[in-house]
Amino acid sequence: MKGLLLKDWYMMKKYCRMYILITVIFLGVSIVNTENLFIVFYPCVLCGMIPVTLLGYDERSHWLLYSCTLPYSRKQVVSAKYLIGLCTQVAVLLLTAATQAVAMSVNGTFAIGDFLILIFAMLFVSAFASSISLPFIFRYGVEKGRLAYYVMIGFVCAASFLASNLLGDRSFAASNSVLIYLLLGVFGLGIYALSWYFSVTFYQKREL
Amino acid sequence: MNALEISNLTKTYPGFKLDDLSLTLPSGCIMGLIGENGAGKSTTIKLILNMIHKDGGTVRIFGKDNGQEFELAKEDIGVVLDEVGIPECLNVTQIGNVMKNTFKNWDESEFSRLTGKLELPQNKEFKDFSRGMKMKTGIAIALSHHSKLLILDEATSGLDPVVRDEVVEMFSDFTREEDHSILISSHIVSDLEKLCDYVAFLHKGKLMLCEEKDQLLAEYGLIRCTKEELETLPKDAVKHKRENPYGVEAMVLRNAVPSEINVSPISIEELFVFMVKEAR
Repeated sequence: MKGLLLKDWYMMKKYCRMYILITVIFLGVSIVNTENLFIVFYPCVLCGMIPVTLLGYDERSHWLLYSCTLPYSRKQVVSAKYLIGLCTQVAVLLLTAATQAVAMSVNGTFAIGDFLILIFAMLFVSAFASSISLPFIFRYGVEKGRLAYYVMIGFVCAASFLASNLLGDRSFAASNSVLIYLLLGVFGLGIYALSWYFSVTFYQKREL
Repeated sequence: MNALEISNLTKTYPGFKLDDLSLTLPSGCIMGLIGENGAGKSTTIKLILNMIHKDGGTVRIFGKDNGQEFELAKEDIGVVLDEVGIPECLNVTQIGNVMKNTFKNWDESEFSRLTGKLELPQNKEFKDFSRGMKMKTGIAIALSHHSKLLILDEATSGLDPVVRDEVVEMFSDFTREEDHSILISSHIVSDLEKLCDYVAFLHKGKLMLCEEKDQLLAEYGLIRCTKEELETLPKDAVKHKRENPYGVEAMVLRNAVPSEINVSPISIEELFVFMVKEAR
């Protein structure tokens, strides 16, 4: 699978520079504007879409067909994309967490409970968002799977709005255990794993 | 051992059926899969490589079913597809790095030698390559991991005659090793005629014939004569005929034609055209 990851790495270096720029801008804005959680969540969700972007380029260059001729199983082709997605999301999550910790400390609003709640909620939203899109794309291809992408964008907006209301309300945050959000984060990772399973199953059945 | 054995392979699409295809490619041989566009050549190759799922039949590569442990078998197979399939942003150096981490038997020095010989620029992105250069890159990859079987789907189509000649030469070199085999599909029959030991004609998803090329050329011949002259020939000698304003061209069985009649050699292309037109 090393070859697949290396190929994706080269492609990310070429095609995903804009993601880095957007992430940096959003991280910068999120320091100033800590109220709008969409700004905080968006970089994570956006980077979770990197596998979708890479799959789009793969389809365009007929790589998916070609990869069938190389000593890789379809499971490995799918797994490489999920691994790339996971790595980028974790990297951006850590960056966002660091940025938010700094912003909260500067504003004097840092509370470990609120901070953890934010991180776990972000973990759930980003994992869930990419989990929706990828199985559809592996089943129907990037073009038809785009519908799932729009559903995901709708989900992110709704989740951000909801989270802004809930997490913005200090009494709600205080009255809820961090454990619930931890479970939510773990649940998000569970969905990501389930999504991988469905993608493998769909892709193994797909005719290329 | 046979490099490839296909038995009763079937695949149905709306409006097309690959019907009960059986053929065998002995190790050390080159087989040309000849057919019009839409005859089922690419479908056959996709089925061999498990890109699509068969409705029936079996495919065995080096004696192993392609449904089991196929990833291992692919170490020994070099494939060049019509659309080569390399990501557009990669350059030759990066392609070499990716393949080095893909094939256990990757031969870096061979890849370097081939890309040099084929004059492929090392730092130019794949998307900026001409079709000929793209095809050459695919061929260099296929030949750089000590593969024993090459599967080539329309690998020469769209290339200019000079490049095509170079590429055909490389395939000939590949088969100098006695356990190296090639399955090559094309509708450019002249390329296959130069290269192949065996030819298989596909027409509308059915195998019309699969025979040794030399056997076919020895067996069949071409007669150009008048209608009246043709009628004097034994009926079983004439396999197919084509009338034109100047007379008749007929594909004949050489040994059924009286020796005093002059029979010209027939090309594989002419054989194929005769047979397809007759089948229509």
